[in-house]
Amino acid sequence: MSVSKVPWVIKYRPRKLSEFVNQDEAVEKIKAWIKEWLSGRPEKKAALFYGPPGSGKTSIVEALCREYGFQLVEMNASDYRREQDIERVARLASVQRGLFASRRIILLDEIDGLALAGGADAGAIEAIVELIETTKNPVIMTANNPWDLAFRPLRDLSVMIEFKRLSKSNVLEVLRRICVAEKLACDEKALDFIAEKSEGDLRSAINDLEAVAEGGGKVTEEIAKQLLRARDRILEPFEVVRKIFWSKYVWQAKLNATQTDLDPDTLMEWINENLPRQISDPEDLWRAYEALAKADVYRGRIVRSGSWDLLTYVTELMTAGVALAPKNDPKSKFRWVKYQFPEKIRLMSQTKEARALRDSIAGIIGARIHASKAKVLKDVLPYIKVIFENNVEEAAKIAISLNLTDPMIKYLSQDKADKIIARVKELRKAIRAEARKSESGREDVQKAGRKSEESGRAQQAKSGLDSFVKKTRS
Amino acid sequence: MSEEEASKVLAELLWTEKYRPKTLDEVVNQEEVVIRLKQFIKEKNTPHLLFAGPPGTGKTTVAHAFAHDLYGSDYRLYLLELNASDERGIDVIRTKVKEFARTKTPGNVPFKLILLDESDNMTADAQQALRRLMEMYVAATRFILIANYPSKIIEPIQSRCAVFRFVPLSREDVVGRLSWICGKEGVKCNQDALNTIYDLSEGDMRKAINILQTAAALGEVSVSNVYKVVGLAHPKEIKEMIKTALSGDFIKARNILRSLMITYGLSGIDIIKQIHREITSSDIDLPEEVKVELADYVGEIQFRLVEGADEEIQLDALLAKLAVIGKKVVGVAPRRVGK
Repeated sequence: MSVSKVPWVIKYRPRKLSEFVNQDEAVEKIKAWIKEWLSGRPEKKAALFYGPPGSGKTSIVEALCREYGFQLVEMNASDYRREQDIERVARLASVQRGLFASRRIILLDEIDGLALAGGADAGAIEAIVELIETTKNPVIMTANNPWDLAFRPLRDLSVMIEFKRLSKSNVLEVLRRICVAEKLACDEKALDFIAEKSEGDLRSAINDLEAVAEGGGKVTEEIAKQLLRARDRILEPFEVVRKIFWSKYVWQAKLNATQTDLDPDTLMEWINENLPRQISDPEDLWRAYEALAKADVYRGRIVRSGSWDLLTYVTELMTAGVALAPKNDPKSKFRWVKYQFPEKIRLMSQTKEARALRDSIAGIIGARIHASKAKVLKDVLPYIKVIFENNVEEAAKIAISLNLTDPMIKYLSQDKADKIIARVKELRKAIRAEARKSESGREDVQKAGRKSEESGRAQQAKSGLDSFVKKTRS
Repeated sequence: MSEEEASKVLAELLWTEKYRPKTLDEVVNQEEVVIRLKQFIKEKNTPHLLFAGPPGTGKTTVAHAFAHDLYGSDYRLYLLELNASDERGIDVIRTKVKEFARTKTPGNVPFKLILLDESDNMTADAQQALRRLMEMYVAATRFILIANYPSKIIEPIQSRCAVFRFVPLSREDVVGRLSWICGKEGVKCNQDALNTIYDLSEGDMRKAINILQTAAALGEVSVSNVYKVVGLAHPKEIKEMIKTALSGDFIKARNILRSLMITYGLSGIDIIKQIHREITSSDIDLPEEVKVELADYVGEIQFRLVEGADEEIQLDALLAKLAVIGKKVVGVAPRRVGK
């Protein structure tokens, strides 16, 4: 990739704190906080930068490092899903000083992704708290919405620094500057359209401008509208969901559902995810879910019977059925709420590894006891887990008999995995030793029938093992 | 001795497998089924078979015992075991059946057996394809189909099979067997505990033996250990989810539901059955007439779970209903659901 192909959002990132548009207040607060650090005694060791997307939270951290000579240690949301990850990377970085750079700044970007009640990330918040308490370097977190209940411990430990939503004229100002720098003839109306559409998200505005300039060769209103509208239809499920919820007529709701490239299954996930965010009255919400659930029944019938002509009922129920559900509080559906990417889809990809491990254990057991994985998961695994959490000896024997790997044992027992693994090693060694003994003894009676010999060997090994177990247990 | 051999030595550690009857004579209940099957063995001929009945009543066990009695101890050479829930589609099944049909038949019986477990989980289309398979290879193979719900097997297949209905096991059968296992294992167990296991396992022998083994692993088979095992094995999240939904916090309840389905891997049917159990229990504080109203809706949702495509959405509807009921009954304004 040539240098000129650096995305504009990176190319035109502000280098200095003074270059940030409309965030003077935030900049002042940040400077004051950093000075506390430099003088040795910060009142709070972490800062939480919050505000709408594209308002400059991450960029300002980079500029800060440059101006004050900090080395930046960055962790993106996807890097610290699990608490071990935070402990490993961030704590290491926060305690040890950089070899050459005098100080480091630890950046935990986009912590929104951790807002999960009781989910896989529950330990992550605790790990961050511990990180803040032990750090010798400034810790900065960024978030769109820091008010989630789960973030309370983080808020208590942090200087809260708000980033304002940029105004349309702020965005326009930057767009014009880029046009000049790129020597682009930019139609003012086109810039206006892009700025308007961005809703204060400078990053998306710059991306749009670049897309129009590159796709159309020049920046005119016509090209901007054509390109960005077409792109919207593909890229913005948020808009489709909003339009569906806001529909007043059946035809309207159905039409809106056609303005997406999402397949019906994914669209249903989007609707499901955001329905309870949009509709607050319990009865209205239930009516909407009744419609969605019935849509799903038709979907099931399609899957099973292959009658695709039923699809129209799926669409009608999941769009119009949902849109017309609010009766107690009919206006609620017009409230503006922030929508979310379907959590379920995210969870599915996030838990892929653990689920694969779980399923392979279920597969092993299922093959042994003639049952499907689903049956094992429901009827057998919960009991095996209880054994693994409570009886090391029994667990070790089961682990050997099923040939479970160490990660599998760890999956089955949170507390006793290490003990079980150690015991498995001991037992395996004993089994091998017994087998060797019986092998050497066997040489003398070599002419014996092969079959009885084999079973004899197994018998011997087993009784040897039993006596070993008894010995080591007492 | 390799690890593989070592594991053979320790092979039978899961009691459900260790104490599974190996021959038809060892099957203590289901006399009617056993008598008819023995007739087939005597004739060395059998039609296709459909074993139907609730879980843990011995369908798979009887199928294996039947094959054992028919072919002898190396019966596994002549038995192809498939599970409709685990095989990826009818094409995989077709390929395996085709290969299996090609292998040689035992000397004294002119056909081999194909055991297809959980066959009621197959779609109607897949069942049609299965029907053709059954006809195509009937010269060299016989099918044993196993199902919880025979009504979910399409008519053309049912009419080609001899249907065997497995009845739920009686208290005497289950307690007797458990007691026998305790003796074999040298485990102390009292009669009350075994009766409790029967109550909790609802005639499902597999479940009963699992509870027994786990309770034994906790030290002894006592009533308190039995309850402890069942409590530990059943996620408490179900109750928490119900209470959260009743309190009006739909989104949080849904998060719990997702963790049950995705992290624990529970199926929608498993979850709804447990919801039903919780709702009718005394732990959930609802007026009796509301419990009846709810039972109706829970049943409706269970029915839709079978019909629908996305189990979570069906259960979401139930959670939303709980929020409505919570508001009505408690009379307290629920927490705002949205933000």
